Amino acid sequence: MKVLCGRVIRTILLFSCLLFLLAPLSRAEDTDQIFQDANDAMARGDLPSAITVLKKVPFSKSDDSGAFVRSRMQIARLQFALKDFSAATASTKEVLAVYPDNSEALNFLASVQKEQKPRYVVFWEDCLRFLPNLLKGAVMTITLVFCTMLISPLGGLLIALGRISRFKPFSTLCWFIIWLFRGTPLLLQLFFIYYGLPSLGITFKPFTAAILGLGLNYSAYLGEIIRGGIQSIEHGQMEAAKAIGMSYGQAMRRVIIPQTYKRLMPPIGNEFIALIKDTALVSTIAMVELMRSADQMFNAYFNVTALILAAIIYLVFTTFFTFIFEKIEHRAGIYENR
Amino acid sequence: MKTANQPLLSLKGITKRFGALTAVNGVDLDVCPGEIVVIIGPSGSGKSTLLRSVNFLEEIEEGTITFEGNEVGYVKNKHGRRHLDTPQKICALRSEIGMVFQHFNLFPHMTVLGNVMEGPLTVQRKSQEEARHIALDMLAKVGLSEKRDVYPATLSGGQKQRVAIARALAMRPKLMLFDEPTSALDPELIGEVFDTIRALGKEGMTMIIVTHQMGFAKEMADRVIFMEAGSFVAQGTPEDFFANQMEHDRIQSFLSRIL
Repeated sequence: MKVLCGRVIRTILLFSCLLFLLAPLSRAEDTDQIFQDANDAMARGDLPSAITVLKKVPFSKSDDSGAFVRSRMQIARLQFALKDFSAATASTKEVLAVYPDNSEALNFLASVQKEQKPRYVVFWEDCLRFLPNLLKGAVMTITLVFCTMLISPLGGLLIALGRISRFKPFSTLCWFIIWLFRGTPLLLQLFFIYYGLPSLGITFKPFTAAILGLGLNYSAYLGEIIRGGIQSIEHGQMEAAKAIGMSYGQAMRRVIIPQTYKRLMPPIGNEFIALIKDTALVSTIAMVELMRSADQMFNAYFNVTALILAAIIYLVFTTFFTFIFEKIEHRAGIYENR
Repeated sequence: MKTANQPLLSLKGITKRFGALTAVNGVDLDVCPGEIVVIIGPSGSGKSTLLRSVNFLEEIEEGTITFEGNEVGYVKNKHGRRHLDTPQKICALRSEIGMVFQHFNLFPHMTVLGNVMEGPLTVQRKSQEEARHIALDMLAKVGLSEKRDVYPATLSGGQKQRVAIARALAMRPKLMLFDEPTSALDPELIGEVFDTIRALGKEGMTMIIVTHQMGFAKEMADRVIFMEAGSFVAQGTPEDFFANQMEHDRIQSFLSRIL
């Protein structure tokens, strides 16, 4: 009997030792099996049972293998997918209780909380996030628009006067400029100035290239508009000016051109509205303006709010300019109001 | 060499062609200082073209224009081809010859005063005050002082034409050309324009007037000229002209149509 007791105790001890030794091994086999089962469940599309299976992974203070964190994050993602946001938050917090600065858990928690917020709050927060960059871009857009608005009417007037000039070389040159810049895409012109001219030894900074391209293109368009305006003034006006002894230049400056202002405002306003939007093209020659900023934000966050915001800023600009041009048109034609 | 009875303006063999059409065909005309010449004739007879040639608004192919004893307006280049003189000289000549158009051609973006000031201000480079002073004088002369600050769009046709006359007079011209000044006016407005022209004549202004108003020609003209197909068909004092019109079938039929 004593011998039997001793054998039993010895056997139990031996098994205990064996179990103790084999315990980690068997647990590792268990977790692998758990993840395998969970994957199978997910493959079947049975997300709730996948969660149940994953919950078998025990809580562990010293999670060397990372199985605990892995299981809880997987549970959280599944709960997120099932739109059980509070459970997903709880699961994530389980991880954070052990590892307070686990970045995966923190990011996930943020996106869960974002999902729980009303959409307009999310939109507003996105706006605040993107706005500083977009406004910086918008300032560049406005700078480009203003510079082109200063250059192109002068260039356009010169081209218009050239087109109606009787001095052949000048009128041919102006005809050529219009032919060239109206006949090719603005994008191509910008590419040529910024990427093409350096091969001929002429290099511009992006801003200079942008102003040059926009300025020449819009001068060509405005040139034709202004020529139309000048030629729409009744011929008798020029004769009357000449009859009191005015030179051609005086007649143009004092009599003909001032009368074109009112007629020119609608088409020139149109051109300038188009210009505001055409500045988006210079984003292709390394200029960071509104469109480029929006594109950067969109690509960084894959968030459509950046594009919506850019659209709103463009609309604010075009509305403002439309309003201003209506006012100018009204004032320019004051003498026609009886 | 300036003499008392030297003509102010002397045209010799003026010829103007538009392609195959000869609008003015070798016209001679002497206008003495203070003389009022009225040219009548059917439309297309070259009256307006002749008048515009005097002001170099049309470039003539042949003939000479002599103003105050000097042949003016055209020079020959080294190949012997004649062309219009330099813009500066042409402008200087035009500023001495006032012209009034059928359709007024007031500058619509300037006030009435601005229209009249424009010549002295821009062409003669007078000061603002001086130009304003001259312009107010001229507006008073045509009886439109109270309209000085309105835009031409608010005026009647007759008022517009009187402003146009004031605008031409502000340059202190030595000769005034009137190209059908009343043809675009309603009949009841013709009188006020002719009153203005009549007043000018009394001041001794030399004038060439193209018109269809026979009553005015009879009353005011020192000489009436009938022009047809680019040539002068007949001319004379109003008394002779209208008394002897029967001798010319064309004049008679023309007058019978418009009177």
